[in-house]
Amino acid sequence: MRRFDEQVRSRTQAGRPAGRSRPAPVLLLGPILALSLALSPAPAAAVGDPLEPLNRGIFEFNRIVDGLVLEPASQIYEFAVPEPGRRGVSNFLGNLRAPVIFINHLLQGEREQAGITLGRFMINSTMGIFGIFDFATVVGFEPREEADFGQTLGVWGVGGGAYLVLPILGPSTIRDAGGLVVDGFIFDPWPYVSETETQLARRGTELVDARYRFGPTLDDLEVGSLDFYVAVRSAFLQNRAARIAKNGPMRNEAYESIFEEDFDDDFDDE
Amino acid sequence: MTISTTSDGRRTLGRGGWRRRSVLGMALAAALLQLPRPLAAQSSPEAFVAEIGDRVIEILQDDSKNDAEKLDSLKFVLDSHTDLDLVARLVLGRHWRTASKDEQREYVELFRQILTNTMAERMSDYEGQTFEVFGSSELSERDTAVETRIHRLRGAPPLRVDWRIRESDGGFAIIDVIAEGVSLVVSQRNEVASVIDREGMSGLIETMRERSGEGETVL
Repeated sequence: MRRFDEQVRSRTQAGRPAGRSRPAPVLLLGPILALSLALSPAPAAAVGDPLEPLNRGIFEFNRIVDGLVLEPASQIYEFAVPEPGRRGVSNFLGNLRAPVIFINHLLQGEREQAGITLGRFMINSTMGIFGIFDFATVVGFEPREEADFGQTLGVWGVGGGAYLVLPILGPSTIRDAGGLVVDGFIFDPWPYVSETETQLARRGTELVDARYRFGPTLDDLEVGSLDFYVAVRSAFLQNRAARIAKNGPMRNEAYESIFEEDFDDDFDDE
Repeated sequence: MTISTTSDGRRTLGRGGWRRRSVLGMALAAALLQLPRPLAAQSSPEAFVAEIGDRVIEILQDDSKNDAEKLDSLKFVLDSHTDLDLVARLVLGRHWRTASKDEQREYVELFRQILTNTMAERMSDYEGQTFEVFGSSELSERDTAVETRIHRLRGAPPLRVDWRIRESDGGFAIIDVIAEGVSLVVSQRNEVASVIDREGMSGLIETMRERSGEGETVL
């Protein structure tokens, strides 16, 4: 459920003007953009779920894997490692993601966020001892906003395409799955300087860390839901749209039209 | 509070009716007496949301209450500040008009139970977060969005929560909550539509009955 988990994390900036133009470095990433466009025939607003039967199957598979592996692993982790240690692991893994986030902020034209990401990375990698301690927060840095290449493509105007549940990684779209590949295999610098086994250990630890931190959120969602699959899909797609629009979540016509309806006249039967 | 009798002879409390009638009654009284409307206790949607936030945190920090009492108080605050009848109808969307009166009534009551239970339980995981009203913007003649931040612990980034507040009859009511871009009304609409597509209105009510039953055993 790593993909979903990353989306639950918050943005701190709000109220930015809508519809400003963004320079898209199409020359640099032209082929990727073209591929994503080819894969996503649907416009951004109309993300459907044509793969629902397949998605539901993978969703159930993920829940089985979660119950057999991730949940027990996160419980053992919680039992064996005290909270300061878990905090350190989380910080360390988060710090490793900084280069990918930095590149994506730049590609989205988010200079201020890129600056925060870079500043935090430099301080935490040194004074924070390889990112184990979040020293940047102590010296007054704002929290970092997450960013990824699927989001960058969305900011550039690429639609999400079909909703897609990935094995183990969870909710995504065709566009975002492509973004994941670009982030993990092109933008991420660590595979270039370390061995495959090290990277596998990192990704495995990331899964356990994410399960530990966001498991309760997912459990809450399940308890309150009538159809857990739809609840996760709806939350993922809405959160994703808000993180791409970046102008607050309440500014779209489809949403507003829900509240135009007036039922007050036809419920007086008591 | 009105008491109505459903087709199977059970007596149910129609709290929606109570709310509307009291609003009408007070508005009428105010008009007759030329007094300001009594429900306009808060001057603005922002003040309304700030007051709810303060009351919720007050309840969560009240050590004289046990967990069950806290849940009950939270449910009461949510119920009395949210237009749950309207939210329930918005969530059902176009299916509202095709449902029978009995189905509508049972659906609204189950919706109310499940929603207040779920929300109160989520809030009860409280560990000292703080709540800040950030500002507001007008969405329509009746509706205002109030933006808040929930500041979390241990350096976690703050959570953005927007409240859609409707003004009617001089009072305010919550009609949607949007956490990190995820609207409660939209999410519930998607879920309800999916269940109705597969199992129809009776299937929806059956699923909700099961869900509300589970909610009670959890408590």
